[in-house]
Formats: sequence, C-alpha cells, structure tokens
Amino acid sequence: MAMTKEDLLAIKNKTLAGQPKNWIRVGYSTCGIAAGAKEVLEVLSGEVKARGLELQVKKCGCLGLCSAEPLVEVSVEGAPRVIYGKVNKDVAHKIMDEHVCQKRLVEGHIYEI
Amino acid sequence: MKRVLIQDTNGKLKKETREFLVSLNSQLRDRGLSSEVQTLMAADIGVYNRGIALKVLPEGFTYVNLEQKHIPEIIEKTLLKGEQVAGIAREGSVGQMRIVLRNCGVIDPESLEDYIAHDGYQGLARALELGPEKVVEEMKKSGLRGRGGAGFPTWMKWNITRGVQGNEKYIICNGDEGDPGAYMDRSVLEGDPHSVIEGMMIGAIAIGATKGFFYIRAEYPLAVERIQKGIDICYSRGLLGKNILGSSFSFDIEIRLGAGAFVCGEETALIASVEGLRGYPRPRPPFPSVKGLWGNPTVINNVETLANVSYILCKGGEAFGKIGVEGSTGTKVFALTGKVRNSGLVEVPMGISLRDIVFEIGGGVLDNRAIKAIQTGGPSGGVIPEQFFDTPVGYESLQKLGSIMGSGGMIVLDENDCAVDISKFYLGFCVDESCGKCAPCRVGGTQMLAILKKISHGKAEEEDLARLSQIAQAMQKASLCGLGQTAPNPVLSTLKYFMSEYRAHVIDHKCPAGKCSSLVSYRITREKCTGCGMCARVCPADAISGSRQDKYTIDAVKCISCGQCFDVCKFTAVSRQ
Repeated sequence: MAMTKEDLLAIKNKTLAGQPKNWIRVGYSTCGIAAGAKEVLEVLSGEVKARGLELQVKKCGCLGLCSAEPLVEVSVEGAPRVIYGKVNKDVAHKIMDEHVCQKRLVEGHIYEI
Repeated sequence: MKRVLIQDTNGKLKKETREFLVSLNSQLRDRGLSSEVQTLMAADIGVYNRGIALKVLPEGFTYVNLEQKHIPEIIEKTLLKGEQVAGIAREGSVGQMRIVLRNCGVIDPESLEDYIAHDGYQGLARALELGPEKVVEEMKKSGLRGRGGAGFPTWMKWNITRGVQGNEKYIICNGDEGDPGAYMDRSVLEGDPHSVIEGMMIGAIAIGATKGFFYIRAEYPLAVERIQKGIDICYSRGLLGKNILGSSFSFDIEIRLGAGAFVCGEETALIASVEGLRGYPRPRPPFPSVKGLWGNPTVINNVETLANVSYILCKGGEAFGKIGVEGSTGTKVFALTGKVRNSGLVEVPMGISLRDIVFEIGGGVLDNRAIKAIQTGGPSGGVIPEQFFDTPVGYESLQKLGSIMGSGGMIVLDENDCAVDISKFYLGFCVDESCGKCAPCRVGGTQMLAILKKISHGKAEEEDLARLSQIAQAMQKASLCGLGQTAPNPVLSTLKYFMSEYRAHVIDHKCPAGKCSSLVSYRITREKCTGCGMCARVCPADAISGSRQDKYTIDAVKCISCGQCFDVCKFTAVSRQ
C-alpha cells in the first residue's frame, strides 16, 4: 500500500499516543558499541524482563558526548530525566536498582549535554 | 523530592567540594530534610572553571563559585520554596542547538514510525506540494550553504542543475568522510538515517532527478547497514519507488561503497568512483551540475547538508535563516577532539565564538594545560592560535584567519604540541592520499614533506623555510583538484602563526614543545631524584637504570626521547633540553 500524506499524520499521531511513560535510551552507534553499549543493553533489557517492569529499553543513535560513552538516558516517573555516562555492567545494575526502582539518582555518572 | 547534583571538579578543589557536600548534608539533617533531598556527586553538570558548582533538579537552577556560607540560603529559598537564589546563579550559559542532530539519541534509527512521529517526511510532503521552483526559493530563504567544506550555497547548486536540460539527472550524497578526527557524517547516518534520505528526496524534487546514490565509505559498516534498512523500509511503505505519497514523483536510491581513498571526497573523483572507475579527479569545468555522473547533470551534497534540508522544508526557510549570522546561517556540527575535556560532537549556532566552543561546551583543555591553538578543517584547513578565539564561527571569518570551516573537524592543541610536527602530520596524510595524477600535488607534497622532516630533525637551513612557502604557493595554484590545492594550508598557517617555533628548530636546533624527538634529550638531576624508580618502570627502551640508593640515570644511547619519564616523574627530577 502506497502511503499518502494523511497516512503520515495518522502514523505520527498513533506513534505519539503509544509513547511509553517510562523509558531508557541506550546510545547505540559505533562509538557507543565500541565502548560497551551492547553489554549495557543486555543488562538493562534482562533486568526489565526479570523484574517484570513496564519500561521500554530503546536503541538510539549517539547523543554526542563520545568521551563518556556508553550513554544511557533514563526517564521514569518519580525521578528527573537524566543522562548517565561511562555506564558499564555495574552501573547498569545500579541504574535499575537505584534510579528505576528506588527513584534515587546514581552517584558519579550523571552528565549534562 | 529535590536533587542536588554537585559537580565533580576532577581533582581541583577536591577537598573543598567534599567539605561543602558534608556541610550541606549535615545542615539538611539538622533541619530534618534528609529524606526529601537527595545530594550526590555528578560527573558533569556543564559548568567549568567556576569553583564549586551545583545544580538543583527538577528546577534546573545552576549555582556557581559556591562557598559554605551560601548553603543556608540555598536550603531556605531553593530547596524549601523552589525559588532561585540571586548572585550565585550561573549567568549567560552557552548551549548547543540541535538541528542536524535533532533526532540523534532520541529516536530509534531503524524505526520509520519513530522518525515520522518526530515530524519525519513532513518536509517531503511539503516539497511535493510546493514544486521544484518554490523548493529552491525556500532554500534560498534559508541561506543554507554546503556543509562539506567549500560552503557553496545549496539553492544555487540546485538551481543550476534544475536549469540544465538532461534526460536523466542524479543526486549524490557524499558520505566519504575522510578528515582525520572528523565523524559528524557517520553519526548522522547512524543516528538519523531517514533525515538524510528525506533530504535527498527533496533535492531530487528540486532538480528533477529520478535516481540518487549514497556514496559511503566501507569503513562505516553500521552507517551503511542503517541507510540500507532505511531505504528498504521506504520502498516497502511506498516512500520510495513510483508515485511517492500519491504524487507523480518517482525516485530510486542505491548505495555505493567507497574504498576509503581520501581523494574520492572530491566531487569529480567521487563521480568516477560511483561509475566504477578509478577515483581520479578531472579538471572543472564542466562542473558536475552540468556534466556529472555518466555525463548527466548531477548534484552532490554532503550528509550534514541533506540533514538540514529535511528540517528546512519542514520548519520553513525563513525560520532557519534567522539562526546564525549573516552569510552563515543555521548551525554547524563539530567533531571536537584532541586535548579537550569533553571530546565528542557538538552542534552550535553559527556566530558563536571559538572560545565558547572549546571552554564552555568542550570544558577546556585536558589536565589543565595551557591551550596553544585549534586546528579546523582537517588536512585542508589550518591552525587558529588562542589570540583569535573570540572570532565568531562562520565560513568567511575562519577563512580570514587562514583556516577553513571544512567539514567540521576541530582538534584542540595544547602547549605540548609542536607546530612543525602538526603540519608534518597533515601534509603526510595528503602525500599518502594524493592520487598522483598531477605533478604539483604528487611532487610538491613529497618535497615539502622532505623539508619538514629535515626541520624536525634539526638539519634544515634558513632557506628551507622560504622554499617551503614557495612550493606551497605553487601547489595551491597548479594542482588539479581540491586535495592538492588545499594540502599546503596546514603548513602555511603554522608558518604564519608559529614562525618562531620553526626558527627554533632551524637555528637553535630546539623543539620548544619537546615533541620532535631528535631535538630533545632527557637527563635526571641527581639532587632531585628520590630513587622511586617510576621512570625506569615506564621506559619502553629500558634506557633507565639505578636503585633507591644510587638514584637513577638515563643511558643516552638507548634513549628514544619519548618523554614518558618526564611525564611520570612527580619530583621534576627529569629535565628536558
């Protein structure tokens, strides 16, 4: 089916309406992957599944701060939206434990871009 | 719940910051606020060289140059009432502005829905309604100039090709990013592939092209993969192929891989490469806009240019034209690398000063060393020393300083970088990448490099400096393509700004920055040496021997002058001459 201009708007509205409340974005470009984003993504998706959380984990492009890759942006209800840098397996676990579950920000890894 | 993020000052003010945090915590405890306020150290809140700094969330207030006496007021006003405290608030913050990188890190690059939800393909729909003439007009209003380096107005390029008669017209996206240290295009292709695809489709409408090519270097496998996925999904949804969005416009896109030759970023060589021939440039005119791919009118646009196009058609050319400065509108993405704290991609409005980019956004020089200069424009650009850092970013303003905007590489150089060494590096790159077709570039580059090597070994004569600029000027005038014409730029600009450094190499046989290894020697001052042995442990040539009692010495015959002992010694016992 060929798309029309109206279809574009319909897709836009439908996608926007379906946006999840809670989400985590993982920078997944060459720079992020080289710095270990794959492992981080696995930990985050694994934890979401294991804990049965309503939380979308999404692969994204690069936010730009390559010296602090892997970058992970977290937005969950009850805590401000922040970007974590230099995330490894341990920090990914901390993000799930402290930020997502206890609504407390993780020490030492927040970056402003 | 309020959050107080305290900036980690990376070693400087470590004790003071710690004490500030302890005091803040105890005052919060005294007032019974511990459970309502979370205090923590943050890696970076975007404030540099302003003492102790903190940020309060969710309000987003940033306070700088703090002392302990400010704590009660911060608790009273901000943490309890949510008001900003005057006097310590950060003023005049410099931020990034994201147009090209608008979706990078925001959308899933492999999802068409996500792109459409962020106004994707709205520009295409509008372009189809406007028709070619008005699309070009819109581009003219925006003032967008090519982001690949030369800065040719995009609307003019399109308008020329639009006016040329031809059975078939082509549009090519130049993704053959080759400048050392530059990776803006890769990031856009990987993070927001549809914005570039959409930009290309709009360009095709404007010039009347039926086919487009992505020319991407094969070293970017993920970029190629994501563009291919983007193209495939567009075909399956009817955004590519015949009668796009129910209009009479039909368009096809293919990817061509580049094998990594730097010269293929030059448009005539790129066309030859797309045709399957060897990547050799040819003299212009005829320009590709008149006679390009397979002899047909062809437009070649850079990745960043096309990502701007989709934004301009969606938001309107006039709005875009208001960003930036006269003659250089919009934003520019820079790949900020080298001796800078926050290396990465930054997108800033044109007209911002170089100082703001390096110090406010980049966070200044690593390890608090003194800055020497920045290098922009890669091997075709030049260096800009610190005294010109207040220059606003723009095509002409950087050109006046003997550099260029280029595709967006920006390398920060500190006091330990040597001007001769830098120009040797860039010229060496161009000599390697020269295709060898024309003599000025092939022979001139090699001769200049030989002279630079002589200088860095302290074996040059004063006449060599004059010879260097003479060959450089000949190369600029007589080379066939942009590679040879611009290859001498790094040498000429370092000669212009750092002549004293060149003369120190030639006349005094010294390298002031201590980089050119044949001109420096290291020795250990016995009186200062504590015998810790750190130098001996890091020495890669095993040239340092000794013991705690006898102290350490360097064997001048074995020493390769790498300087690692100099960097590692905490007691300044290693001296450089």
